[in-house]
Amino acid sequence: MALTCARCGAQNPDGNQFCQACGTPLSAAAVGAPPPPPSGPPLAYASPPPLAYASPPPLPVAYASPYYDPAGAAPQAAVHRTPWVLIISAIVVLILVMAGCGTAIALLGANAPGLGGSVAGLPSPTPGTSPSPIASPTSAPGATSASNTAATVPLPAGWTVSTQDAETLIVVNPNSTGSVSVASGPSNPRMTAQQNKDDVDKSLRGKYPDTAPCPGSKTTTGNINGAQGIFWNLCFTLTSSGRSSAAVASLFVGANSDGSVYYLVMLATTQSNLTSFTTESKPVVQGIQWKLK
Amino acid sequence: MRCDHCSHDVPDGAFCTRCGAHQGTTAESGNPKTREHRYAAHPGEHVAQPSVITTLFPHLGHHKVHEFRWAFIAGLAGVVILYLAGLIAAAILVSAFLVPVLYLIYLYEAQVYRDEPAMVLGFTIGGGIVVGIVFTVFERIVYNPFQYVANPLANASVNIGGLLILGLLFPVVQEVVKPLPAFFLPKRADFPETVDGLVFGIASGLGFSVAEALIGFSSVVTSLPAHVAPGNWIYDLTTLAVFQPLLQGSATGMIVATIWRYRRGRLGQREIGAVAMAILAHIAFSAGTEVLKETSVNALFILIWQAAIVGALLIYIRYLLHHALLDEAAHMGFAETVCPSCHMHIVASGFCPNCGMALTAAPNAVKRSRRPRVDSMAEAPAKKR
Repeated sequence: MALTCARCGAQNPDGNQFCQACGTPLSAAAVGAPPPPPSGPPLAYASPPPLAYASPPPLPVAYASPYYDPAGAAPQAAVHRTPWVLIISAIVVLILVMAGCGTAIALLGANAPGLGGSVAGLPSPTPGTSPSPIASPTSAPGATSASNTAATVPLPAGWTVSTQDAETLIVVNPNSTGSVSVASGPSNPRMTAQQNKDDVDKSLRGKYPDTAPCPGSKTTTGNINGAQGIFWNLCFTLTSSGRSSAAVASLFVGANSDGSVYYLVMLATTQSNLTSFTTESKPVVQGIQWKLK
Repeated sequence: MRCDHCSHDVPDGAFCTRCGAHQGTTAESGNPKTREHRYAAHPGEHVAQPSVITTLFPHLGHHKVHEFRWAFIAGLAGVVILYLAGLIAAAILVSAFLVPVLYLIYLYEAQVYRDEPAMVLGFTIGGGIVVGIVFTVFERIVYNPFQYVANPLANASVNIGGLLILGLLFPVVQEVVKPLPAFFLPKRADFPETVDGLVFGIASGLGFSVAEALIGFSSVVTSLPAHVAPGNWIYDLTTLAVFQPLLQGSATGMIVATIWRYRRGRLGQREIGAVAMAILAHIAFSAGTEVLKETSVNALFILIWQAAIVGALLIYIRYLLHHALLDEAAHMGFAETVCPSCHMHIVASGFCPNCGMALTAAPNAVKRSRRPRVDSMAEAPAKKR
């Protein structure tokens, strides 16, 4: 027998506990309410007391507020599946496990061979006081060159120019495992080689989180094809948008006699690849022709 | 009572249990029908409140929100302690796993996967990890970071080539591939609601984020000494632990939620705007970070920029989800249940008449504990026979 809701008059299927139109309990108020079906468990809210917060308007039929609290006016206990201790413990365990793993990996990595000792030998720096004459590079078969207003750089076979503007040329080796940046331009105000070096240190320290002189490396003076300056190495982590590399920059910065022009050569590669990249890039560095004096 | 807005006879309450409209309020507190002052998943908050937990963990009840918040804070405190101790490799690993592990606990807590934990977790988090591995390896092949190392003596300049790759190409491609695992989830019909799509998308995005972080930082983790000077690592760790996973999860969640809406035949300006917002936010996040980094701006400003982007994404997700919940909760029949937000014992349809929470966003345990109509209970044994 269909149940008619005493409140809204909607017809409900036999056995409904609530009106499917308005939610009013049907057990007491329905017209022609049948006895509860034997298979259906009796619901505990048969006589729901009204909540204190609501003032339901008087209804012509026995309509009960949908809110009730069998335990009194207090809210029911929250549905907890995962105890809070377990949630916090999971995070603490994560920290401890990852701390252990990270330390173990780092310790194992520390036992691996470190940087090659050839960083200081970057472009065959010539210690001394007399600038070398500009080299006249011998072109290898298939070699070309790249040029801007600051310098001309030989390009051995397979090397490509990745970036070029008025002051800077960046060339990349065939395997893209590193780059050689060659730059020169006017310094305003005038700067010594040491001041240029300080600027480079500051710039890289500002960009990368752990920039520091590479362990065991030395700072020396020398020249590259007539430009007098300073050689040194910086190790840092090259980070950008969620990716990173343990990098090394083998650097040379110089200045002309009155400090009005700067010279920069930077070999950038991974720390593990420094030795081979230095050898590979030697023809490029040795063939640089500075245009600004 | 009769609802002010849908005109149905509904149980007494501050909210209509059918359409969720706020009853008897004035326009001063907001539009009663759209009730954006009462976020449907957590009615104690405004839709425009960029809360991480109540946005990305929408099924959590009131008490659980605080527990997850404290767990997140505990994880961040762990990262800071490891950073201060100079254990950077360990701090990177904790940062990479923190939000995804919290999300895994949340999925278990809310049982969003219902009876299919292996399938859902495999296709969302697992699929995200696989896509993340493939894409990040591909990224490392096509992108050589060394060729974009700028001249440190030149005036601040941005390398356009590098910017186009990192700030435009990669974000767009990522937003295309990240939703794929959730898109191909089998038995999608068992998880029809937009809130399900949102959670699956977030899980997929977080799986991607873990893979991206681990591969991206693998060379650093394996090459850094166990103990190093902390330096400026705190900025990168903050991005890695907080903003990167939130961006990846939010953007993918929003796109997958839109797909779910489309499958329900609801593709309006709000949904199209969600896809556009996800892609634009990812582009703005990546490109902005690169530009600010190349122009040597203080790293704190980079974090502020990232926080602003993630905050805007969170607000749009809440806006999308709120209206989806208002739209979708009405189909639920009347049943007896306990509201996971205010914990009142109620007889309700789609919304708690007391606090207005959309009951489709209730944890699965609460949904299962709803006492259905007796007629359906009586039919079940009959079918078995």
